Amino acid sequence: MDIIEKLRDIVGDRASASPAERLCYSSDASMVSGTPDYVVRPLSTAEVSMVVELAAAEGVPVTARGAGTGLAGGAVAVRGGIVLDMSGMNRIVEMDLANLAVVVEPGVVQARLNEALKPSGFFFPPDPGSANFCTLGGLIANNGSGMRSVKYGTTRNYVLDLEVVLADGSVVRTGSRTLKAAAGYDLTRLFIGSEGTLGVITGAVLRVAPLPKARRLVIASFNSAEEAGQAVAATFAAGIVPSACEILDRMTVAVLRRCDPSLRLPDGDVLLFEVDGSEGAAAEAAAEIAALCSAAPGAASVATASGAGEMEEIWAARRLVGAAVSRLDPTKSRIYVGEDVGVPIKEIPAMRREVSEISDRFGIPAMKYGHIGDGNLHVALFIDVLDDGEWARLAGAADAIHRAAIRLGGTVSSEHGIGAARSEYMNEQLGEGAISVMRAIKRALDPKGIMNPGKLGLDDDYGPPSGGEG
Amino acid sequence: MRMSEERREAGIRAKDEMKTDSRSIELCVRCGTCRSVCPAFEVLGWESRNTRGRIMVAKALGEGLAPDASVLDSLNTCTTCGICAASCPAGANPPLIVQAARKGLVSQGIMTEAQAGFRTKVAESGNTFGEAGERLAWLSDAGAIKDKAAAVYFVGCLDSYRYPEVAAKTFDILRRFGVSLLPKEWCCGSPLIRTGSPAEKVIDENLRQIREMKAKTIITGCAGCLSTLQRYYPPEFEVVSVPEFLAERLSELRPRRLDLTVTYHDPCHLGRHAGIYDPPRNVIKAICRLVEMKRSREDARCCGGGGGVRAGYPDLSLQIAKLRLQDVPVGVDAIVSCCPLCIRNLRDAGAGVEVIDLIDLVAEAIDPA
Repeated sequence: MDIIEKLRDIVGDRASASPAERLCYSSDASMVSGTPDYVVRPLSTAEVSMVVELAAAEGVPVTARGAGTGLAGGAVAVRGGIVLDMSGMNRIVEMDLANLAVVVEPGVVQARLNEALKPSGFFFPPDPGSANFCTLGGLIANNGSGMRSVKYGTTRNYVLDLEVVLADGSVVRTGSRTLKAAAGYDLTRLFIGSEGTLGVITGAVLRVAPLPKARRLVIASFNSAEEAGQAVAATFAAGIVPSACEILDRMTVAVLRRCDPSLRLPDGDVLLFEVDGSEGAAAEAAAEIAALCSAAPGAASVATASGAGEMEEIWAARRLVGAAVSRLDPTKSRIYVGEDVGVPIKEIPAMRREVSEISDRFGIPAMKYGHIGDGNLHVALFIDVLDDGEWARLAGAADAIHRAAIRLGGTVSSEHGIGAARSEYMNEQLGEGAISVMRAIKRALDPKGIMNPGKLGLDDDYGPPSGGEG
Repeated sequence: MRMSEERREAGIRAKDEMKTDSRSIELCVRCGTCRSVCPAFEVLGWESRNTRGRIMVAKALGEGLAPDASVLDSLNTCTTCGICAASCPAGANPPLIVQAARKGLVSQGIMTEAQAGFRTKVAESGNTFGEAGERLAWLSDAGAIKDKAAAVYFVGCLDSYRYPEVAAKTFDILRRFGVSLLPKEWCCGSPLIRTGSPAEKVIDENLRQIREMKAKTIITGCAGCLSTLQRYYPPEFEVVSVPEFLAERLSELRPRRLDLTVTYHDPCHLGRHAGIYDPPRNVIKAICRLVEMKRSREDARCCGGGGGVRAGYPDLSLQIAKLRLQDVPVGVDAIVSCCPLCIRNLRDAGAGVEVIDLIDLVAEAIDPA
């Protein structure tokens, strides 16, 4: 019996080896590609377990995938094998709000969880730009985050317990429902950000936070990005922790206006400060930030969003701006490379200068925006994809951006993950010692190297790929 | 009667219609936004059955992907509803990419049975059902067809053959304003164009008659016909939807208030494709109470009937319609719409409440001629 038939014995018609599915699961939102031999859409932990057990017996790679919105090829089967599309396991199993917890399957979309939590006055804070369509499993596997991580932290801070199918098909739980635990190695955090290289996440107990009573948004523009950066530093120095702190360069503002001409955004380099809390606290913090920005050197304008409606419009546009550069020039497309660097906060001006210099040097325009409050700069490089010369220069520019971030003591990825797109930088960023520990963990949990091989720069020595067309 | 340019701009860039080259495909950055809105994907769950996957398929066909059944199913399960285009941050227009890919395959003789069925039926009978009967059988007074008329009512296949009472009610109102009919109307070409087949012959037949009548305005009660007449016929006459026509004549029609509460379903080809949202609502509100569906206007979900899906994938079509029915507010007396295909599909999916054409509501509220 061949493998597809064995897979159908487990999941019925939710296994496919058709040309259309193999093609459509061959990439995510990154430029990494690799064609799986089979696609399976499991609906239960038991099915995942049986599929992984089969894969182990057959020596076939298994790559878990959520909504395929990743930006580093983490869910791409670069060595072929089975792609497990987890998005069908999408039940919110339990709302245990007395314990500040919810139990979810990995395919639940982030925004659906927050819709379900809202009536009870709670929310799950990690809020990537793709919140409306990315899955919680993908967020956990990549330690994703978003605009509010400056105050609320990343996904890592909200996972209490995971159910994981290991490389032999066995099922383990990693934590407990308690808000804290001191019981051995922190296996929960080991799996967070492991990008499917150690096992497949099939369930999670997540911690939730009470929704703030009020949110305010201050919109300040500056004559230069440098001066905007100084205003951010002044805000933090004043002891204010905004719930979001975003920078948008001039080009980003232009794209946002194209996306939604009704947006009330000023000219210049723009800072968006969101504060939250009680009505009084939010209003007070917003007034304080507005005063700080007004007094800051180079301030061009300072305004406060009129209400929740305007605030949501600005955030909605901001979330999707990364994909929207074509609005400015339809012959240009955003290519997600070098897009997620992070540096210590005080190095942000230096990183911005590096990016501008790299953009000029390679002749590739760069839109710069991101979570300035936590040092995460999103660089949108865009090219004419029909021009081969631009592709070559793009690769050079992305590489230079990654190396600049490492040189400044930063990271090649703050929230999108390493996948296959950034695996070559792991040694340089982490050092041989740390990589050796990671490899040892990988070998211990996945001796056959079948769990999402070709990722994180951990298993380049596992031998030739078993299939696929990387 | 004001419309055309600005309204077409409000729709999903009809002018780009024939520009489905590699450039339009490359606008897609595979971000996945469309994954959360594609109605067919919500039912089917496979990546090849969502917008992003279909664009990958369309691109790969140009690079040598062999068009097997899985490829045909990927492309042909799209209802061309355009909700993906409305939500695409990069400004891609996926329905046009899908239509162009279908057209490319059909031109090589590669198509599903349903696609072939549309071609045969329209070629043999001039209508999408292959009906041999008289298209104007519903018309009691053949003298209503004039030799020359400034405005013509384009009935469409569905109202001609499946809902003749709607055609009769519509014409009963329109003729009060001097509107005539084409003597031998053909299918507008919508099902052919949507499923990738050439429609020049039917377009020419209709055009010839429109020109002979010297008509400058074509009025239609079918969203699919409207979209097709606007985008695929030469711009030598104005195309007006029945709801627009009625909304501008409320003072003359003087409808009575009816003690009803209804909701309104935005047909994709009237709303997102043509930018017509307010006129039907204005007509409804002149007659009775309107409660919006959970998702409406630009965000309205598809009924599941369009793009050849009702004919090609009837189960999928009805499942999409059932999902749309979940948006209906509790306690309404009727669902009103302006597209016979939407009405048919929502009825067939077991609406649990009356699904009526806007013209049914208007006819109830005005005096007979």
